Amino acid sequence: MADVETLSHSGISVHDLKEAEDFYCGILGAQVHGAVNFVTEDTLKGRSVHQSYTLGDFLFALVLAPDFMPMPPADKLMGVNGFRHAFAVRHADFDATIARLKAAGVPFKGPVGHPDKGPFGESVYFKDPSGNFLELLWRRDENVDYAKAPQLDVG
Amino acid sequence: MALNGAFSHLVVECADLEKSEAFYRDVIGLDVVGRNLVADNRPNSLLATNTRQRLLLVETGEVPPYPGSGGSIHHAWLLTIEQFKAARDRLEAAGFSSGIDPRQSFRAVGEYNMDIHDPDGNRFQIQAFGEEGTEILRSGAGTVMMGHMDDFAVGSVTHNRKGRFFLVREDEGFLAVSSWCTHKNGLTIWQKESWHFYCPFHGAKYDRKGCYVGHMGCQPMRLHPMQIDALGQVVVDTNRFFGRSGFEAAQAVPAEPGGKFDETGLTELPACDEKEVRERAKTGG
Repeated sequence: MADVETLSHSGISVHDLKEAEDFYCGILGAQVHGAVNFVTEDTLKGRSVHQSYTLGDFLFALVLAPDFMPMPPADKLMGVNGFRHAFAVRHADFDATIARLKAAGVPFKGPVGHPDKGPFGESVYFKDPSGNFLELLWRRDENVDYAKAPQLDVG
Repeated sequence: MALNGAFSHLVVECADLEKSEAFYRDVIGLDVVGRNLVADNRPNSLLATNTRQRLLLVETGEVPPYPGSGGSIHHAWLLTIEQFKAARDRLEAAGFSSGIDPRQSFRAVGEYNMDIHDPDGNRFQIQAFGEEGTEILRSGAGTVMMGHMDDFAVGSVTHNRKGRFFLVREDEGFLAVSSWCTHKNGLTIWQKESWHFYCPFHGAKYDRKGCYVGHMGCQPMRLHPMQIDALGQVVVDTNRFFGRSGFEAAQAVPAEPGGKFDETGLTELPACDEKEVRERAKTGG
């Protein structure tokens, strides 16, 4: 057993909250969870302004960052640039997921197959509108019953 | 899109795979699954949490530094309180300063946090929630005299900071609404521009009657019993708390001399002393 239960949440820096929300909610199917510090006074005082979302079992915040990582070139679809989040879909739905990215006009790389000895099956790589790298994949261990993730909480 | 448990793994770049793997294994406490298990030509290591989630370290040789303080880009590990204590010991043994939480003023009571940077300067939050976050906290203000009932206009919300409650004047009468967020013991504030109680800790919102608005499924804010005495003075008993499933007109104390709180249909909740819990929270995490 690991000494860490799970990843609680992530903060993802974006250039434009509305554009990012349309992408994460409209294309990836995320749900709005709650806004933190959306009063003008908070912004003036330099507090973090962010909106949190859930995507399946995962909680993340889209953060309007005061300082931003330099972004990779637009035509680079697969990379890390510090971090990359990967989300799993069921193997049976993988083709439909790719079709959905195509229909939404999201450029992607892949599918790329992973070695058989690992838990990952195939991945597609793409970016959000702010240039954060993302990955969608199916996993060979998709039917393994891992411990249930603890209840979501926001930070 | 049929997501399966949704979040699969986080890919993190590192300059030195040996060093970073040792950090995430020995200090953070992840389990190493194995090396080079994914389609990436660069050396990589896969590590596991106790759920489906994995962390993939990829050695890139050079990791670009974050601008400034790293901004708000971060990831948080969720630990149990026991794991949190063990992690703090490991961090201190490894030479990290774990005693300072730079955003302590943003934490709710019973929310424990350490902010650390991995060998490449990536910011990680280590987070745990203790039972102090769900206990009901008694302010110690006891019985609070708020003044004459005619001084509170219908629609007004009056904050009593010491007593940790809001006196709300509705059409139906008065409500003494406890300021504590029912999510994780943050103190809410009244945002008059949107007519909401708002918890700045995790973003919970409640309407003026104290009923939760949003997706987190929180219980309504709790009520203190109160009365209007024979002279029309408003008296709130902050020692007692009542839980409810929603708002009903009968919860409001009639705005007339002798107006009384009606406990029917409400559940009295056991409370702890706020000071004592805050003390416990200092050493508990």
